[in-house]
Order: sequence, then C-alpha cells, then structure tokens
Amino acid sequence: MAATPSRATPALSREFPTLIKTPPSLHLSKPDLSVFLSKQKKQKIIRSELKSFENSHPWNLENDRIHLIHGTSANPMAVAAALDHSSSKRSKKICLFYCAETKALAERVAAEYDGIELRSIRWRTFEDGFPNLFISNAHGIRGQHVAFLASFSSPGVIFEQLSVIYALPRMFISSFTLVLPFFPTGSSERIEEEGDVATAFTLARILSNIPISRGGPTSLVIFDIHALQISIAFPDDGAWKRFNKQLQHFPMIICNKVREGDQRIVRLKEGDPKGRHVVIVDDLVQSGGTLVECQKVLADNGAAKISAYVTHGIFPNRSWERFQHDNGGTPDKGLTYFWITDSCPLTVKEVKNRRPFEILSLAGSIAATLQI
Amino acid sequence: MEKVKEKQIFLFHCVEAEDLARKVAAQSDCIQLQSINWRSFDDGFPNLFINNAQDIRGQHVAFLASFSSPAVIFEQLSVIFALPRLFVASFTLVLPFFPTGSFERMEEEGDVATAFTMARILSNIPISRGGPTSLVIYDIHALQERFYFGDHVLPCFETGIPLLKQRLHQLPDADNIIVAFPDDGAWKRFHKLLQHFPMVVCTKVREDDKRIVRIKEGNPAGRHVVIVDDLVQSGGTLIECQKVLAAHGAAKVSAYVTHGVFPKKSWVRFTHENSEGSERAFAYFWITDSCALTVKAIAGRAPFEVLSLAGSIAEALQI
Repeated sequence: MAATPSRATPALSREFPTLIKTPPSLHLSKPDLSVFLSKQKKQKIIRSELKSFENSHPWNLENDRIHLIHGTSANPMAVAAALDHSSSKRSKKICLFYCAETKALAERVAAEYDGIELRSIRWRTFEDGFPNLFISNAHGIRGQHVAFLASFSSPGVIFEQLSVIYALPRMFISSFTLVLPFFPTGSSERIEEEGDVATAFTLARILSNIPISRGGPTSLVIFDIHALQISIAFPDDGAWKRFNKQLQHFPMIICNKVREGDQRIVRLKEGDPKGRHVVIVDDLVQSGGTLVECQKVLADNGAAKISAYVTHGIFPNRSWERFQHDNGGTPDKGLTYFWITDSCPLTVKEVKNRRPFEILSLAGSIAATLQI
Repeated sequence: MEKVKEKQIFLFHCVEAEDLARKVAAQSDCIQLQSINWRSFDDGFPNLFINNAQDIRGQHVAFLASFSSPAVIFEQLSVIFALPRLFVASFTLVLPFFPTGSFERMEEEGDVATAFTMARILSNIPISRGGPTSLVIYDIHALQERFYFGDHVLPCFETGIPLLKQRLHQLPDADNIIVAFPDDGAWKRFHKLLQHFPMVVCTKVREDDKRIVRIKEGNPAGRHVVIVDDLVQSGGTLIECQKVLAAHGAAKVSAYVTHGVFPKKSWVRFTHENSEGSERAFAYFWITDSCALTVKAIAGRAPFEVLSLAGSIAEALQI
C-alpha cells in the first residue's frame, strides 16, 4: 500500500520504529500535532502530556479518505472538544451516535456542549446472529455534522459498529467523525518475524476504507491508549476548598497532615493514585516540604507519575533545588512536571529552563481581566 | 493438445472449516494444506501466526473462510489481509457462504445493509503480486449482491446445484423427480440450472395476517418433489411448502439447500427422531458443507445428507 504524500489539510501519520515490517514504498512521517493543538482550549497541562507520549500506533492512516486526530484523554470534555474541532466551526451542531458500550460517555459528552445532540440506533440481531440495524430518523441528519462514538472492546462487537460507520457517511451528511476512545489491539503485538499478523493493521485498514462523505474524508479521533490518566491531588483540605470546583472533571485525591508525636506526616485521606499520573495542586510553595511529603505518600500508594502545580513559586533560599526530574523513572525519584506561573519573576529566572519546571504565563489571563 | 498444468496451491483455512479444507486438499496432489496458529491475547483480541510464511513466497495461496458469526470475522480478516502481502504469486479467498443479507430489506432510509459492509470489507483485501484477490462464493443469496464488490476483488460465483443433480441421478426413482421452488426468488436463481427437470413454482400469499404458501405453477401429484433453495434459516418456508405439496398429492418430498444456516438448531424440527411415523415429512434433506457448524451438528441424523463442495472448490482454485 503506497502512502499518499502529505497534504495541506491536517492529515496525521505516525512515525513508528519497530512494530511492522513495511515495504519501502510505505513512508511514515513525524506527527504534526500543531494544527490540532492550536485549536485546543484545554489547559496547557494537556499539551505537555502529549509531548511525552510514546508512539505505538503501527499504521499509516494517511490517505484520501481519512485523517487522524489525536486525542489525549477520553474524558467527556476532551471528546467534546475534539468533536468541536473536527467540525471546524465553533459550537456547530453535531449529531452524536453511539454504541451500547459508549452510551454513558456519549451522554456526558452531550452534556458538555449545547451543540451536541444525541441520536439513537436500533441494535438488534437476526436469528442467524448477524446485525439487524436501523438508524432512526435518517432524514434528520441530512446536511448535519455527524459523529459516532465507537468502542471496539472485543472482536465480536466490531462488525455491527462497522456497519453503522460505513452507512452514516453515505446519508447526505455534511461531515463524519469517528471517535474511538480506545484503539484496541496493537498494545500486545510485536511484528518480530514474517508470519506475525498485526491485527491493528487489519483494523486500521478497515477504518481507512470508510466511505467519504460530502464533508470529505472521515475524521478519526483516537485517544492515546497508553496516556496515563490524570488525577488531581490536594495536599490538604485548604487546597481542596480552594480548587476543587474548578477541577471537577478530574478524579481527586485528598491528603491531610497528621501529627504523630512531634512529627507531621502526610497521609492519604481520599482517592486512589494507583496507576495514575497525579498532579498535586496548591496555591503556593515555600520550602516545598509539604509537596515532598505528598509525593512520597502518592508514590508509596502506586502513582505511576507525579507532577505538581502551584500558582506562586515562592521558593525562598533556592528551595526549588530539591525538586528533581524523574527522567522517565519511578515517581519517588522525581516529578514529571512542576508547573508554576510567572507571578514570581525571580523564581522564573532561576527555574526557566530546568526540568521538571515549566512556566505557565498569566499574560493572557491578565490581559483578559484588564478588559473588564 | 497439451493439458494445462495444474497450479500448486497452498491452502490455509479457519478453524471451523478444517474438515472441508482437508477434503479439498485430498482432491488433488497439487493442493497442500497449511496451518495458522490461532490464539488470543488476554484482552480477547487475536494473536495470530502464519506458519512457514517464507515458504509461500512465489506460490499460489488460498484461504478457506467461514463467517458463521460476527465474532469470528475479525480474526479471519486479519489473516485475509495479511496473506496477499507475503509475496505470494496469487491469492484466492474461498468463502462458500456469504452471510448477512438474507433477512435484510433496504426498505427505508435508516436500514443498514450489513451485506454491504461485508462486501466493502472484502473488496478492500490488498492486492497481491497476482493482482486482485479471487473471491469464490457459492449461491450468493441476493443476486444484486454481486454488484456490491469493488474492483480489487474478482468475485467468482459458483453453485452447489451440480452436486444435487449428481445425487438425484443416483436415486432409484430418478425418473420420477420434480423440482419445486418455494418462491419466485428461488426460481430466478435456479431454474436455468435445472431445466431438464419438470418444475413446480410456489408463492407466498397473504391472507389477512397470515402468510400462506400456494402452488403457482406445476403439478406434484404422484411425484418425488425436491424443494430447492439457496439456504434455510428457521425452516418455516420449507415446512409450509412441504405441507402444500403433500396436500396436492406429492408421493415424497425432499429438500436441497446449499447453505444449512439453521440458527439456534432449527434443524431439529426436520430430524426423523423428532417426527412421528406419518410425519417423516422429508425423505431426504441435502445440504452442502458450506456451514461447518451445522454439518457437525447433523452428522448421521436422518434425513440429512451432506454433499461436499470439496471437489468444486478444488476446481475453482485452478481458475
């Protein structure tokens, strides 16, 4: 299969080192994420997450009929934002179809944006086990932007969803987006010798063959299967009181300080960091003692990665020096990111290009406030 | 005149179709059976390995598939998409029964034709050095489905009827046979192939809420009637047909279908152990081995007899 050359429209492909023996005619180019990211309204926390993402998608989906948009987490906000982007117009009405497995997620997505309307499909089977499908109110989607939230959790459910995915673009809709929160297969596969069959390749090929709609190629939104899900940790109740309402969409962990004899120890009060990328959030940092204690507790309780955010990096006496980068290692050894704003310019000067620190500028926010 | 040399064929197969694959390989020295490791990962997705992949370079390769349910399609598709790219000389997909579509009616916008989906997926099989994949299908249900396929596959539409004709000629009452079609669709499909038999054509008529089978043309009186259709599902149509034919004086009634789909074991209603003496409605019930799961289930149970497609498939592989 020869790859088509890169085009001006955001067609993405993945550079991919080992997994598939591809004939020389198939060239893969570096991902171009800038188009997707520039339209993102999300916090910069998400952009940083993407930078460390390791590629593991063994296919090239770049062709005339499909273009790949990379999502970073399958929470409803991210899905809704991705749909909004791919329809390429702010708050455009989108008819969102879904399968049984993704119904709950679809409902949350529709709740995020006014413009997203849920639509239904009748999923039944004939006696012989093959799908008997009916798309309700098919005339009502003519001229609309349409999306389908799929879930290929097991081979048995793929065929019925594919039938819908192949049918929708041909119903005179104005564009079609396929959202796959989880791209199955591929995580266990290694093409090591001739004879190994890459089923991820099979699925990619099938998806590449989705019929074209009036809006052109299908937009395929896939969320990173290996991106670690983020949880927010508050080092104490004070931090929780300050910030929990603004971070409601994230799972939360609350710590608190407990006195044992003369010592103050940080304990886990609520929430589970296991396997998560935990971001400790507070308004400011001084010596950093609390953060370090928090980090220990989270690491002990199985956090996969730990980062921190404080608005004000006060750091008297160069106390920022105690914060090391984890360098891809375990979270007890260091932080993945330490975000501070540029509210404290002296600190900013010192930590500007030192990992794990990253500066998030208040400039835009200040400018907006000045307009009031 | 020189006889055209037979091609060497390397025949892979899915798990379900192993028996048929063995029979096909037994038809000719030129057909060699090959194997695939079918395993799955913990997440349920296939973990497949094509054995001796290097040995098939430059060879004519075929895969015998069986899409008995949606769940087994994906793993077979993975192999079907992979084989043509292993530097084979040509690739042939043998799919004796093309499923879906038999219940479907595209009656209003919103109906989703899964037959279309299936044809589309198969049309997207990669080409090999030998060009487009040849796709061998027996007695496809809807005649228009032949147009669903794109240019990257070469559909080859075969039929099981010659097997039936061969079998009928072996019967002691071969000269008393009349062929019956349960509806116009079956007549359209098969009448040309069975021209030298006298025929009865039935039709479904609506009376109030009921659907009744009536005889439209032909006279079964005193005959051994063989009802012919491409497939059977619940068997309801065949049973209605048999009743009408018996009522019009048929001496014996048998049935032939190429594909014994029989979902949910609906073949049970035809077995002789289930019907009382006078109700041994069908003298013979012939099916081919296109539907491997059914063949296993009805093995040795009267009135079923299996007519094997092996010989026909072996010939088709030489095309």
